[in-house]
Amino acid sequence: MLTPLNIAVIVKLEPDFSEGNVSYNPDGTLNRAETKNILGPHSALAASAAFYSKVRYGAHVSIGTMGPPNADLILQSAQQISDADETYLFSDRIFAGADTLGTAELLKAGIQKMQGKMDLVFSGHRASDGETGQVGPQTAWKLGFTFLGNVIDYEVDVEKRTVRAKRSIRLQGFHDIIEEVEAPLPVFIAIDPSYKSVFNTASQRLACEKYKKEANDRAQNFKQYLKVLNAEQLGADPKLIGLAGSPTIVFKVEKIPKGKAGRQAEVVDGSSKEEMGRVVARLRQALSTMVIK
Amino acid sequence: MEKYDVVIVGGGSSGLAALKQLSNRGKQAILLESGGKVGSKSVSGGILYSKKPKKANVHNVEDVYENFLTDAPVERKITKYILHSTSKDKVFSMDLTSAHEYEANFGYSVLMNKLNKWFADQANESAQKYGGGIIPGVHVRDIKWDGDKTIIYTDELEEIQASAVIASDGVNSEIANITGARKKFSPSELYQGVKVVVKLPEDIINERFGVSSQDGAAHLFAGDVTLNHIGGGFVYTNKNTLSVGGVYHLDSLLENPVEPYEMINALLKNPMISEFVKDQVPVKKEIDKNLSKEEQIRIRFATTKLIKSWQETRDAVLSSSGRDRLIKSGKYASEDEIRTQLSSLQTQMADKYGVTLETDYVEVEYSAKLIPDGKRGRMKNPFIKNVLFTGDAAGRGIFIGPKIEGLNVGIDDAVRAANTIADALEKNNLSHDNLGKSYSNSLEESHYTKDMKEIDKDYLKIFLDTAKDIPRDILSSKYGMVIKLMSNDTLRNFSVGFANILGYEKLLPLVESEETYVKVPMELADRLGEKITSSYTMSIPSIATRIGKLNFSDDEMSHIKVIKPASDFMKKMVTLCPTRCYSIENDKVMIQHEGCIECGTCYEETDWKHTRGEKGITYQYG
Ligand SMILES: Cc1cc2nc3c(=O)[nH]c(=O)nc-3n(C[C@H](O)[C@H](O)[C@H](O)COP(=O)(O)OP(=O)(O)OC[C@H]3O[C@@H](n4cnc5c(N)ncnc54)[C@H](O)[C@@H]3O)c2cc1C
Ligand code: SF4
Repeated sequence: MLTPLNIAVIVKLEPDFSEGNVSYNPDGTLNRAETKNILGPHSALAASAAFYSKVRYGAHVSIGTMGPPNADLILQSAQQISDADETYLFSDRIFAGADTLGTAELLKAGIQKMQGKMDLVFSGHRASDGETGQVGPQTAWKLGFTFLGNVIDYEVDVEKRTVRAKRSIRLQGFHDIIEEVEAPLPVFIAIDPSYKSVFNTASQRLACEKYKKEANDRAQNFKQYLKVLNAEQLGADPKLIGLAGSPTIVFKVEKIPKGKAGRQAEVVDGSSKEEMGRVVARLRQALSTMVIK
Repeated sequence: MEKYDVVIVGGGSSGLAALKQLSNRGKQAILLESGGKVGSKSVSGGILYSKKPKKANVHNVEDVYENFLTDAPVERKITKYILHSTSKDKVFSMDLTSAHEYEANFGYSVLMNKLNKWFADQANESAQKYGGGIIPGVHVRDIKWDGDKTIIYTDELEEIQASAVIASDGVNSEIANITGARKKFSPSELYQGVKVVVKLPEDIINERFGVSSQDGAAHLFAGDVTLNHIGGGFVYTNKNTLSVGGVYHLDSLLENPVEPYEMINALLKNPMISEFVKDQVPVKKEIDKNLSKEEQIRIRFATTKLIKSWQETRDAVLSSSGRDRLIKSGKYASEDEIRTQLSSLQTQMADKYGVTLETDYVEVEYSAKLIPDGKRGRMKNPFIKNVLFTGDAAGRGIFIGPKIEGLNVGIDDAVRAANTIADALEKNNLSHDNLGKSYSNSLEESHYTKDMKEIDKDYLKIFLDTAKDIPRDILSSKYGMVIKLMSNDTLRNFSVGFANILGYEKLLPLVESEETYVKVPMELADRLGEKITSSYTMSIPSIATRIGKLNFSDDEMSHIKVIKPASDFMKKMVTLCPTRCYSIENDKVMIQHEGCIECGTCYEETDWKHTRGEKGITYQYG
């Protein structure tokens, strides 16, 4: 019997930027109390990448996040996607004010507290509320794992304990380049925004449906799978986490000035044939002046 | 290549029953459904019947799903069944409850999206025990035979091998087409069904239709509501919605094309139906454009929010389970308290935002689908090699007078197909010959096949008894004469016997005509009917609004290709497509596939496929 894969996913609570849900303070900073929180879209992709291993390799999945007590709801969302066997909330007042380095230290401690030794850790590409994408690499570095970023597809050889991954690399002036790499486990993978799990045999899809149902059932009773850990329980070094462990200082946040509209919108009545005809003519004209490189 | 004992194509009520029955027999089967959610592409009226025919046997829904009677999310048990003849604002009604109860255990009103989901959960759970299950989002595009191998090709998965296949892929069966099992149905073998679901609180339904919360009513309509087409309309009560729809002979529509959109509007505008669907609807006041943008947005959001909570509270107040739920949850102490809250919300809406309540109706879903007429189009040999066809795919729909049955027939077929294959697996005799013959024989024994072949004189008698009191002189003399003759038991038995010798082919053009479906009912209504006036002017949504409410997942590739852009048939599609997918330019018909609801109306002269996995329409009610 092969040792089953052990997988961790780190996810992040993010403000819901969809219309009507986001709210700002007069000084331009986010009004967190008024803004609804959701599982970030990149985190959701990381969870779906873990689900892929669940379906393909029957992996054991743990999900962790750092956040306030009500962040348990985003763990529920992540469990719904990944059918996680366990979820962890790292929550403590002293975590507040952490920059990416402080967060990485804490996540490292958290991952090490999860059940079993990790073979694979997934994170999202980056968060959409200001963080610039270092948390993943920094956590990998702290864990001493190989880091693979921008992963769009992966397969694990459970026997040889290696991972083969496709990375999408974007270089200016070039088309997207897909790089294929192989690395021995343990590996830390930051999932590319264009990642999509594909199950292309009937048996994989049957397994997928089965785990989806399990995920639904689990998510409904998500508290049963949840462990909440504070700083002390995590055993993290207080000097390396929270504000104390964060060398970054946010100097000032500025609103992006509204650009003067260079285009003018015109409302067209879609049910009027003449008006639509006019639109088509305008589009034709616009297209004819376009130069295709 | 992966191999399964049985592959079922299509997750409507028929395919799902096949999966459940195979699992009941301990056999492995997988079901492939192109929709992202199983059963979400099915449309029905619908009343789901369970039958107890005296002479032949049938397999009913409760035989397949052992917990159907206790757990299934059906709407209401139909206990009143009334046929209305209409002419303008006059309606003449006949109680046909005895026809509805004829040889029936029950007839439940159902919304297929909800019910199919329940069927799917039951079937999937059983199937998993034998290494099978449901795979949604997979579109089967081909089946090929290679030696003794049967290979199934899909748009999404690697090839799959099967020992036998059940094709339950609906009226526009691609499997039938690809394998050459039958020709495409011709318009004379089809009906077009169009439907809207209307929201109405439970208590209002109970009161308006004179039924208790569990019971329901079915109202059927003939006469000018069909805008002179062969067909009829219906209003079925669900728990807290009404299904309002019509089915029209496609031949008749092609002869005199009227938009499905207009057909349904004609029904809704009938004063009796208008009165059935009416409700209190909040109407927002225009927001003062002089206010600041922010303030306008704030008011818009706040009004919407308030209306939403008013609606939720009202729905709960006006339903027994809703009231119980709110009180049990501890939110309110008593019914009175909820009512007080409701009127306070109403006052707030009016005082703060100028929202008024007006009499109108609330439509939540527009849908359409073809239905096969089994009397004409039923497959005589519903199989090819080791592929067995069931339900609409085999053309097995029953239309007799007001009777529309397809759900129960498809379930019965599915059990027979599943049993045929299970027996064959047990006897290890999967020869194509054996499968096809056994299945055909089994279907021949079905009560439903009999219904598709000949007139049942006892069923006919019920109609004649109901029509007994109609003065003979009132019907155009031809029909008065027939009714008179048929009312005599001996003469009736003799003439039905004679008619059945003639066969449906010769009989149908006489029985199913504009005369019987439109003229006679109009005459009845004109001369005996009661005048009904509608108390309000309804605001019927535009076609764009109706389409806008539907859920689509667009595919960049069109699943339908026009192959005869200048044909007469295609030109009529510009009118007959329920969602106006066709337009005409320079005498050539073009398609815009994005709004296609896969009704199948344009099937005959197009290269027509169901959408690829997870694409296309997903109904909420069905
Ligand atoms: C307006 C209206 C009123 C009706 N009223 C009644 C009524 O009152 N009582 C009654 O008994 N019947 C009624 N019927 C008929 C009844 O609804 C149908 O007979 C029944 O729904 C057919 O079920 P089915 O499983 O055969 O097909 P469907 O429900 O059409 O299911 C076919 C399924 O196959 C899938 N599929 C198709 N091709 C493929 C492919 N290549 N690969 C994968 N999946 C595929 C489709 O997505 C679909 O989900 C009514 C029908 C209409 C339209
Ligand atoms: S295009 Fe789609 S909706 Fe229109 S008639 Fe054809 S199948 Fe029906």
